[in-house]
Amino acid sequence: MNGMTTIAEFRNAVLDPAKRRHYQLAWLSTVDHKRIGVLYMLTGLFFFIVGGVEALFMRLQLAIPNNHFLQPDTFNQLFTMHGTTMIFLVVMPVGFGFVNYVLPLQIGARDMAFPRLNAFGFWCLLFGGLLLHFSVLAGGAPAVGWFSYAPMSETPYSSTPGIDYWAIAIFVMGIGTVSFGINTIATVISCRGPGMTMRRLPLFTWINFVNAFMIILALPVLNAGLAMILIDRQLQGHFFLPIGGGSPVLWQHVFWAFGHPEVYIMVFPAFAIVSEVIPVFSRKPIFGYEMVAASSVAIAVLSMGVWGHHMFTVGMGRPLDVFFAISSMLIAVPTGVKVLNWTATMIGGRIRFDVPMLCCIAFLIQFTIAGITGISHASVALDWQTKNSYYLVAHFHFVAVGAIVFAFLAGIQYWFPKMSGRTMSEPLGKWSFWLMVIGFNMTFLIQHALGLLGMPRRVYTYPDLPHWGWMNMLSTCGVFFMGAAALILVWNLATSFFRGKIAGDNPWDAWTLEWATTSPPPHENFVALPPIRSRRPLWDIANPDRPDPIVGENSAAVTLPNHNKIGILTFILSETGFFAALILAYLYFYARPQAGPGPKELDVPRTLVFSVCLFASSFTFWRSEVALTKQRRGSMLGWLGLTIVLGAIFLGGQANEYWKLFQTGVDLSTNMFSTSFFTLTGFHGLHVLIGLIVLLTFLWAAWEGDLVSSRFDSAFKAVGYYWHFVDVVWVFVLLTVYILPLLR
Amino acid sequence: MTTYQFFTTAWTWNSIALILSALAVIGYFLAFGRRGRPVYFAAAVVVFLLTVISPFSALANGYLFSAHMVQHILLVLIVPALLLLSLPRSFSLRPPVTSLTHPVIGWIAGVGAMWLWHAPALCNAAATSRTVSAIQTTSLLLMGSIFWWQVLAPREEQRLSPPAGIVYLFTACTACSVLGIILTFAPVSICPIYQHPVDRLGILGTIRGDWGLTSDRDQQIGGLLMWVPMCAIYAAAILAQMARWHSSPQPEQSNA
Repeated sequence: MNGMTTIAEFRNAVLDPAKRRHYQLAWLSTVDHKRIGVLYMLTGLFFFIVGGVEALFMRLQLAIPNNHFLQPDTFNQLFTMHGTTMIFLVVMPVGFGFVNYVLPLQIGARDMAFPRLNAFGFWCLLFGGLLLHFSVLAGGAPAVGWFSYAPMSETPYSSTPGIDYWAIAIFVMGIGTVSFGINTIATVISCRGPGMTMRRLPLFTWINFVNAFMIILALPVLNAGLAMILIDRQLQGHFFLPIGGGSPVLWQHVFWAFGHPEVYIMVFPAFAIVSEVIPVFSRKPIFGYEMVAASSVAIAVLSMGVWGHHMFTVGMGRPLDVFFAISSMLIAVPTGVKVLNWTATMIGGRIRFDVPMLCCIAFLIQFTIAGITGISHASVALDWQTKNSYYLVAHFHFVAVGAIVFAFLAGIQYWFPKMSGRTMSEPLGKWSFWLMVIGFNMTFLIQHALGLLGMPRRVYTYPDLPHWGWMNMLSTCGVFFMGAAALILVWNLATSFFRGKIAGDNPWDAWTLEWATTSPPPHENFVALPPIRSRRPLWDIANPDRPDPIVGENSAAVTLPNHNKIGILTFILSETGFFAALILAYLYFYARPQAGPGPKELDVPRTLVFSVCLFASSFTFWRSEVALTKQRRGSMLGWLGLTIVLGAIFLGGQANEYWKLFQTGVDLSTNMFSTSFFTLTGFHGLHVLIGLIVLLTFLWAAWEGDLVSSRFDSAFKAVGYYWHFVDVVWVFVLLTVYILPLLR
Repeated sequence: MTTYQFFTTAWTWNSIALILSALAVIGYFLAFGRRGRPVYFAAAVVVFLLTVISPFSALANGYLFSAHMVQHILLVLIVPALLLLSLPRSFSLRPPVTSLTHPVIGWIAGVGAMWLWHAPALCNAAATSRTVSAIQTTSLLLMGSIFWWQVLAPREEQRLSPPAGIVYLFTACTACSVLGIILTFAPVSICPIYQHPVDRLGILGTIRGDWGLTSDRDQQIGGLLMWVPMCAIYAAAILAQMARWHSSPQPEQSNA
């Protein structure tokens, strides 16, 4: 019924110009988590086709030996864009789309905690993606691989603006991604429905909640690296160029400190989907909820300490190799625990082999293969032989396609009825599933053998060595099966949207809250929430005689933490990651002796005076907060004004210091010290400046309006956390940059 | 001296440590009798004695930064944890000491124990002077106990709620990892005394030759120990918090 009206409405809307305009605006200006989720997924689907076509061209070039279908440089651009697109514009957005659509529904929330921030995150992604592809028109796409190793990515070796577009685009997308992570955490902590305690969260929600922490810690590290490479390229800095004392290896550390958690950031939404689909289609609760939940936490914690395994061939020295090998093997344990849990859920279940379940079974098998080849890379000696061969290409495509894409296919078929009100066609779904299985394995299984025979990755062509020809041809043939699968999928999505079978609220007899509302859900998500006492509220309703055991105790009186507070605290956590990366980069170069200006040029006593102003501003802000609590308007305005003045004095002091350095001929491009000094203090200054602008806004708001509103109160507190944080960062910058040299 | 000779002879029969340990054992049984969990206490004493009298102690005493790091980790993370686990459920702290049980103080004590003693001057002093070394050992045990109290205090109500405990442990883990990263990649010696050890035991040749531990490599291993295995200890504690959370029948508290 509901589906019918949606289609009827949709058709009327498309035909009537006035309504069409309304619909266009409604989608462009939306802050509804469901629409944003769909936008994320459609963007992902669009770029999936773009990235897929790029892959098709590469495979065509590689189909036969000594081929000259593509120029070498075009080939380099293609694999760079293919990797970047698939990771940042396909896997991440589609995963975030699922989270955006499903997570608030699963916890009984009305929307995400910050709907407008949510829209901001999506538009950052879309425009970042467009910016990246604009490089094709602006002088050539980046051509140095998706991890952009220095010094290849530096101006002397890549003089076209491709890398600049690449870095800025990913920086913008990174900001969007961090805002998504903050929003997810705040939503889960602050917007749960009554009875939905943290221990009752569905696994989809829990895993993505944990994932959000990895996002806010890992992405800022990448952003710090991108800022550094942009400074190198645009302002003649020296971070990663050996000529000026920089270190290309530092780029690798920064990139993989982000890059390894990123692997889990991509795969966690897939884990989350599989943890939801397998139980429903096995008609059993998940085996070992606690184990799946805890192993996710273990993976998240360990993921911060394993990045070195991407760098075994750099020559880090044996101690580093050994430790990273062991920690990389260790992280396989919680991952293996998950695979065992999913498999054990299926044992003894009444399995329904619908398309979502088929995709999950393929996921399990292919992910296990990916895991085994992954472990083999933890062995240093083997890694030396297979790194940068097609064996590695096969490994990460088994993760990215064999696991992640198959899980997403499962998720699409599983939640499509909820999103559109109509089910997708099972026969078409099975066609695209089997074509995908055949095509994927035909393309990538053989690449393990190719890699072990010695074929390096990222070569635009290869000599006609024994077996290489037919293996590559087979691999290329597989791509067409995958292409056919993708076309059928798109056809299936389109036709099912208009003509699919009406789904009803709960077509799969699932148990989580998103199935308790209509399909598609109303704007406000729920008219009324069912009682929640366990992890499967809908099971309890359907089976009142044998409900699930109650999880934890009902605590009706619990007040959830304020979302502004959670939001700003998680934001601060992510900023800590950013500044930690900058400070560590500073220290990395500080210890190396270098010619030219050094810390001795700095006027420490004068800086100390300005620092006191900044620290005092934390105190005055606190006084202002106290005055606000007591509703003393004048005193609040006075203290706030003083805070702004003190902050401005600090900034003035910093500007003066910069000016004096410029006068003596020291600027960002002088030497390694000046590059890292200006970067670190400059980014801190930028944060103070932003803080000042926000404080001025609040001063104006308090001047104009009344202070009674509790929203003003919690927002003011949130700004306070930020302001104190900026001061605390300065303590560390002061100690590192100004005080440390005095101790030597 | 060969490796075998070294590990059989280089035990430092530190009489003060032995006497104090014996007194602690007697004190433990007088105070708690059978109410405590003596297995944990025995384990704590054994690990402590191994840390201060085994050949590791001789190595840490001026030869190897990495051996010092093993000592450091055992004294901050393992011994205090076992001590707290050995306390009976009825155990409570008295008023002046209870002021140390604020989570912020606990966190600073735990992270500070790692950072403070790796300031070059303090690290050098502890490796050369016996008095400083004794102060270091005592302070590490104390700070470790203050840190672990938040998670391993005898009674549920004295501990942080499991989600807060996870945040507490994770942030501490990260803060210590940063130090590990600095130690691993520092091109200069953090603790210069270990660069050119005074070869009191005639073992230096074996260390540099047979074991292949140059001073650079030694510092790298020290940093990596603080980074990777120490993180594994925190990760294990975090998993224990997850287990505690999911097994606790108590009403869940708001987890801010």
